[in-house]
Amino acid sequence: MRRIAIYGKGGIGKSTTSSNVTAALSEMGLKVMQIGCDPKSDSTRLLLNGREPQTVLDAIRDGGTPSLEDIVAEGYLGSLCVECGGPSPGTGCAGRGIIAAFEILERLGAVDRYSPDVIIYDVLGDVVCGGFAMPIRNGYAEDVFVVTSGERMSLYAAGNIAAAVGNLTGCGYARFGGLIQNSRDVKDEDSKVREVAEELGSEVVSVIPRSVTVQSCEDRGVTVIQGEPRSEQADVYRALARELLKRSGDAEGGLRRR
Amino acid sequence: MRIIHPRPNPIVAAMYTLSDLNVDVIVVHGPAGCCFMASRMLEEAGVRVVTSGMKEDDLIFGGTAPLVETLKLVEERFHPRTVAVVGTCSSMIIGEDMGAAIRRAGIGCNAFPVDCHGCSGDNTVGAIKALEAACEAGILPADERDRQIRLMTAATDMEKRIGMAGKQYLSPTRGPTKLSAAKRMLDVLRSGGKVACVMLAKKELAFRFADMFLALKQARDALGGEVYTIANLDPGLGLPRIRGYASAILKELEEKGASPDEIVGGLDEYALVGERMKEKADAYAPDLLVLIGIPHAYPELPSDGILITDQPRQLANYLSMGLEAVGEVSSHSMVMGARSIIPLETGDTIRELLG
Repeated sequence: MRRIAIYGKGGIGKSTTSSNVTAALSEMGLKVMQIGCDPKSDSTRLLLNGREPQTVLDAIRDGGTPSLEDIVAEGYLGSLCVECGGPSPGTGCAGRGIIAAFEILERLGAVDRYSPDVIIYDVLGDVVCGGFAMPIRNGYAEDVFVVTSGERMSLYAAGNIAAAVGNLTGCGYARFGGLIQNSRDVKDEDSKVREVAEELGSEVVSVIPRSVTVQSCEDRGVTVIQGEPRSEQADVYRALARELLKRSGDAEGGLRRR
Repeated sequence: MRIIHPRPNPIVAAMYTLSDLNVDVIVVHGPAGCCFMASRMLEEAGVRVVTSGMKEDDLIFGGTAPLVETLKLVEERFHPRTVAVVGTCSSMIIGEDMGAAIRRAGIGCNAFPVDCHGCSGDNTVGAIKALEAACEAGILPADERDRQIRLMTAATDMEKRIGMAGKQYLSPTRGPTKLSAAKRMLDVLRSGGKVACVMLAKKELAFRFADMFLALKQARDALGGEVYTIANLDPGLGLPRIRGYASAILKELEEKGASPDEIVGGLDEYALVGERMKEKADAYAPDLLVLIGIPHAYPELPSDGILITDQPRQLANYLSMGLEAVGEVSSHSMVMGARSIIPLETGDTIRELLG
């Protein structure tokens, strides 16, 4: 099983990218579980055509004892959609929420039940505290990719995430897999992103061009793979999905690698 | 230096300070078990301490709801005039707004938050935060707050300089029995000599240490000799509860004919009164000096005196310095809620030897 984490600054297109990759992998006949690690709980929106699953944390709140059916929703082509959920802005601790949500998924045996071929963790923005580093710790995700544009803050966040992975790699945890460029038509964008990748001792895995197709599909609440399957943009995501498969490790185990 | 033996923490220090201020109810905003040993001791001493009992849910989603509910219950059940909400590691790490929760609870009494947690630093940091919050809430005058902060700072400095906070690790010891110390005191009195007993007690512990004055009076009455006593029992100094302790102890000593010969400072001034006490003791020129309470608050530890402490680690510290010392360990749990003097093992040993 492959365990891939996709990080990036807020609003940079992590969820869109993750969902399109999940859809593309599903098209290839793979079982994919996408786990949204963001209190906004909108990672899997495009796979569920507008349905909103109960989040893991809402399900356990106030002593709830959910079953897997309550928190794992079936999306496009049988993809498995999970949202960790979290507190309202300005209260509680979203990072602790992610840790707790993972514990629940493990306790309920999510991986044994669904036997996914790939788990994709779609993780909020920068690594701001230990909780948001959870997917790259303790054997959850094996390979970490960062979605970034050529914008300065986005590249800065990419550097932070790479640093967090670097800190944890020594403990035998995740590897930094590279940057996924989600283009925003910034001046000299390709070279800017490439330079940062090189500084990080890594590379640009894929360049996603800016496209109106993405926005129009989002407006309809679907992935490009589902909404415009014959578009060039859909082929870009398919290529990215193949690239991520090629670059990620395949290891036995449950939610965590053994 | 990295100090690794267990030490008091800022949350508990804040709670004790609030208790000294006679706050009616202390609400610990954290997990049910946080500071429960200290909470139980305070409860047994008649101070109401309750917990908001935070759970994992509250860590994730915020703990305002359980705190608001707890505050409402507190008002309903105890009808307090003052309530202090004390932070803990869990509530403060997630950035709980305790003041907002208090406002939301809408309770009618004077309720205020104390923003401290276990990693705030020295335990006295918690005490100082409690003093500042109490002053802001209008239950402590600013000059007394400043006086208390000076005393806390002095106590912390002293502990770092010569107390347990200056040693990397001390293992607790129960030390020797009290027999040899008791015999030495009696021998001096029997031969017509002079025993000076200096008490540098920390707050409620005076309820136990004051027994030394009673035991020495009995010994002098039976055997002769002279006894001279000095104590930090000024009833006009300190937070309300602490002044009450001093008054109660002085009254009992007076009734039993064992009033201290000299009173130097209040029960919260143990870290500052050593010099003045030493001047008086030196002028008396005793054959035997007995230091009781926090002996290392005395400027010079006597190589041929007797030290009596309640701290098992402090006792180990004194013994390692080659001093004669005995431990009245577990005294703290005995004095919580005390209203009269509680016999010391050393005192009882003296009484037994007197027959």
